[in-house]
Amino acid sequence: MNYKPDEATLISYLYGELDAKETEKVLNYLNQNPEELKNLQQLMDVRNVLKHTEDKEVIAPPIFMDQASDASRFWHTNYFRTIMSIAASFLLLLVAARLIGPEISYSKGELRISFNGAAPVEQIQVQPSTSGLTPNDVQEMINTSLVKNNELISTEWERNNNKLQATLRTNLATNSAKIDDLMKVASQASQDQVRTFVAGLQEDNLRLMKDYLQLSAKDQKVYVENLLVDFSKYLQEQRKQDLTLFQTRMSSIEKNTDQFKQETEQILASIISSPESTFKKVNNY
Amino acid sequence: MAGTLPDIAMMHSDALIARAREGDKNAQGKLVQLWYKRIYNFAYKFFFDHDLAMEAAQKTFISMHRNIEGLQEVTRFRSWLYTIAVNYCREEVRKKKANRSVSLHELRPGENEESYRWEASSNRGENPEKQLRQTELSDLLQQCLMELSDEQREVVIMKEYEGLKFREIAETLQISENTVKSRMYYGLDGLKKILESKNITKETIGYEL
Repeated sequence: MNYKPDEATLISYLYGELDAKETEKVLNYLNQNPEELKNLQQLMDVRNVLKHTEDKEVIAPPIFMDQASDASRFWHTNYFRTIMSIAASFLLLLVAARLIGPEISYSKGELRISFNGAAPVEQIQVQPSTSGLTPNDVQEMINTSLVKNNELISTEWERNNNKLQATLRTNLATNSAKIDDLMKVASQASQDQVRTFVAGLQEDNLRLMKDYLQLSAKDQKVYVENLLVDFSKYLQEQRKQDLTLFQTRMSSIEKNTDQFKQETEQILASIISSPESTFKKVNNY
Repeated sequence: MAGTLPDIAMMHSDALIARAREGDKNAQGKLVQLWYKRIYNFAYKFFFDHDLAMEAAQKTFISMHRNIEGLQEVTRFRSWLYTIAVNYCREEVRKKKANRSVSLHELRPGENEESYRWEASSNRGENPEKQLRQTELSDLLQQCLMELSDEQREVVIMKEYEGLKFREIAETLQISENTVKSRMYYGLDGLKKILESKNITKETIGYEL
């Protein structure tokens, strides 16, 4: 039998909350497992020991349950407060008005509120309305007014136009007078004056050209002289260098020649000193 | 739970709860009178501290007064009330952990309180010496309970001292019945070891008393 109750079942058994079938199963299991039975008995002992804990005596403190809340609720509602505040304001207004002494009157479609005594009622004389005007009369009146208006506009326009024209004329006259004066001044200049002016111009030009040429000739001369000097210097230098080179080459040739001469002498000497071996070598080849 | 008159009244207070739910302030007041001792003792066993237990109990009943109109079923009043109490107890524990302060009273619990405890005991007519031993044992067992985890302790208190059914405890803590039973098993097993370590057995208790 593999039945093994879990902790929950064992606890239910301990507290007698298992049904008969389950209880029997657990009992069988406990009979076969004395250690588990012992453990359960120990747990039961713990329960018995725990029973020795006493309850503490305590007096419930007074907890106020707000009995009067229903009665006072009406006074604390927002609607009531709003209405009361409006009423109070209105009452205050009335008291103030009463102290100031208002006069309120209503007559002929007008409401009058006044303080400190009644205001004199102004008698407004309403003009009796003009009767007997026909549409034609009205049209005629409109037409007349339009004609008058048009006349007025045209008069105004003409006056403005005239003013504008007069201004233009004045300006034109002023400008033409100025041009005429200028022309007169220009025509008054004589032939001699013109000649003098031209001659003056020519002289100036000539002088300028001369100065320029003189200046340029001097510069060119200096430049050519410098050029010549430089060239001669260059030539001299070149010559020197060529000479040095030539000398070096010559000495080199001389050296080579000497060396060649010496070698030749040595060869000749060796040939002369051992003619046999030389002949052998020649024959071998 | 002993079958005292208030306990019997508590068991048959459905009509009172119904009236309280409808807003009857007198009925609510009577409910407070009936249940205050139970809720206080639950909180006291949970904290092993009078002040914290008073605080939690008062908050529980203020909350009951405010929310009883929303109670769905009269028969679930007990688990509903314990749910409120457990929540406040847990809140106090959280506050206590956050503060991490220890009162001077807690440093030497029980000292200079012998007279108070004797006067406050329910069986003053009995032998004072025996009564004192009973009180000492009660405190000792309470200290053992405090060594359990919060979760196991609340289940053990509800079952052993408040007499709630496993179903009601599950409802109160909003967990499954099997979890409740499992916590109960390990709670008792833990207590067994704690009691053994303190050499408190059925026999020693019998000898002492």
